[in-house]
Amino acid sequence: MGISIVVTSGKGGVGKTTTTANISTGLAMLGKKVVAIDADTGLRNLDLHLGLENRIVYNLVDVVEGVCRLKQALIKDKRYENLYLLPTAQTRDKTAVKPEQMEKLVNELKEEFDYIVIDCPAGIEHGFENAVAGADMAVVVTTPEVSAVRDADRIIGKLEAKGLDNHQLIINRIKYEMTKKGEMLNIDDMTDILAIKLLGIVPEDEKIVISTNRGEPVITDEGAKAGQAYKNIVRRITGEEVPFIDFEDENTGFFSALKKFFFKK
Amino acid sequence: MDNITIKGNKNGIIAYINSGTFDEVKKELQNKIENAKDFFSGCDMYIVDKSMNIKDEDYIKLKNEFKNIFNINILGYNSDKIIEGNEKIFTGIYEGRTKFYRSTIRSGQNVNYNGNIVIIGDVNSGAEVTASGNIIVLGVLRGIAHAGLNGNKRAIVAAYKLLPSQLRIADLIARSPDSYDEKPKIPEIARIKDGAIIIEPYLPNKHIW
Ligand SMILES: Nc1ncnc2c1ncn2[C@@H]1O[C@H](COP(=O)(O)OP(=O)(O)OP(=O)(O)O)[C@@H](O)[C@H]1O
Ligand SMILES: [Mg+2]
Repeated sequence: MGISIVVTSGKGGVGKTTTTANISTGLAMLGKKVVAIDADTGLRNLDLHLGLENRIVYNLVDVVEGVCRLKQALIKDKRYENLYLLPTAQTRDKTAVKPEQMEKLVNELKEEFDYIVIDCPAGIEHGFENAVAGADMAVVVTTPEVSAVRDADRIIGKLEAKGLDNHQLIINRIKYEMTKKGEMLNIDDMTDILAIKLLGIVPEDEKIVISTNRGEPVITDEGAKAGQAYKNIVRRITGEEVPFIDFEDENTGFFSALKKFFFKK
Repeated sequence: MDNITIKGNKNGIIAYINSGTFDEVKKELQNKIENAKDFFSGCDMYIVDKSMNIKDEDYIKLKNEFKNIFNINILGYNSDKIIEGNEKIFTGIYEGRTKFYRSTIRSGQNVNYNGNIVIIGDVNSGAEVTASGNIIVLGVLRGIAHAGLNGNKRAIVAAYKLLPSQLRIADLIARSPDSYDEKPKIPEIARIKDGAIIIEPYLPNKHIW
């Protein structure tokens, strides 16, 4: 039986799809059998992040409407043969799928795959309900901004109300310089407010933009700092204890904040 | 199981709803009546619900069901006669009805009780806590707190770290400073003094400011 993970945030544009693409690819790199589901019906992006947009024939909505079988809608990745994408429809809206249908579909996939990673749309409406319906675990993505943290808090409350207590936090787009100068929320502030387990910290990295445009998740780029951060996140998901790395040694402010957090536990 | 308080007076039985969703309230009310069916049979009942959680159609359903099952006549929902006559300002702030929450209240969540509230957790920004009595937070209070909701000016708000975006006690409102430069290092209490909300250390004599 596999594990299903929903990647969610509340606020839009904080890096859910980027995170989904990288976590899925990273788990596949470790030899796991993985399927990434795009639950952002009407605004699909995950296919672009994985560079699979021109292979889509059937999608999630086709599956729930019985137009095709589940197997037919799964697209095999270019690089990793144990990674699949279940894309969604671009021409429909979120109400084309019901939470019960999504739950059934995810449960079916759990029979065959080690990990199911679900890319949740922004917001707290129908699309969110669908994306979390079959999830065993939630990864909550935030950025170091007050508004993103508040939306993450709202989402965590919603997850807890559903009994989805296995939730962990990714802080995306940390900028060392600004954190050091105190111009940005620091990691302690965020973990203090949100009070959930920290899964990882991803730095601001322009390589993400380049790799997204190319359809190659940054985790496949050996030299990228963000790629290294995602690798650690993936290892933590598989249950390994990985210390929180210092990305830039010269940056004492950021490093000490991390260290403090790490030794607190 | 303290969403409801049942009291009797010359008008009949009054069920005060302190908190809870309609389903919770209904179930609890049924249980309470079930335990003393004979006593309640044939009586007149009024429902007082300050938080106005019950929708009209739910009230009518409840009314019909209670007539059929228990032979109880529900005569009014928040009817003025009953409220004016009975529901005084909540006075149990030294000793009285209290509800405990053991979790963090997050953005978008709303906690309300006709009595005192103790929260063992944080109240995050964007969350709201309202009580007719005191509000005590064993954590950080960042959201909005309203104590003494129905008018008790002696109600207090206390928190391990008091950093609310807004505080209300009875009919007074205090807004937070636009930024908290110094975060409190000790628990603090907000209360009304000389017609304004003031904040002071939990034990005023223990710390010299
Ligand atoms: N760590 C990062 N460094 C630099 N750019 C980033 C980083 N993370 C995400 N981005 C950029 O931010 C943008 C939004 O990312 P993404 O599409 O993953 O967000 P999302 O949460 O899925 O958005 P939506 O809510 O619209 O679905 C993208 O252009 C992406 O390249
Ligand atoms: Mg997205």
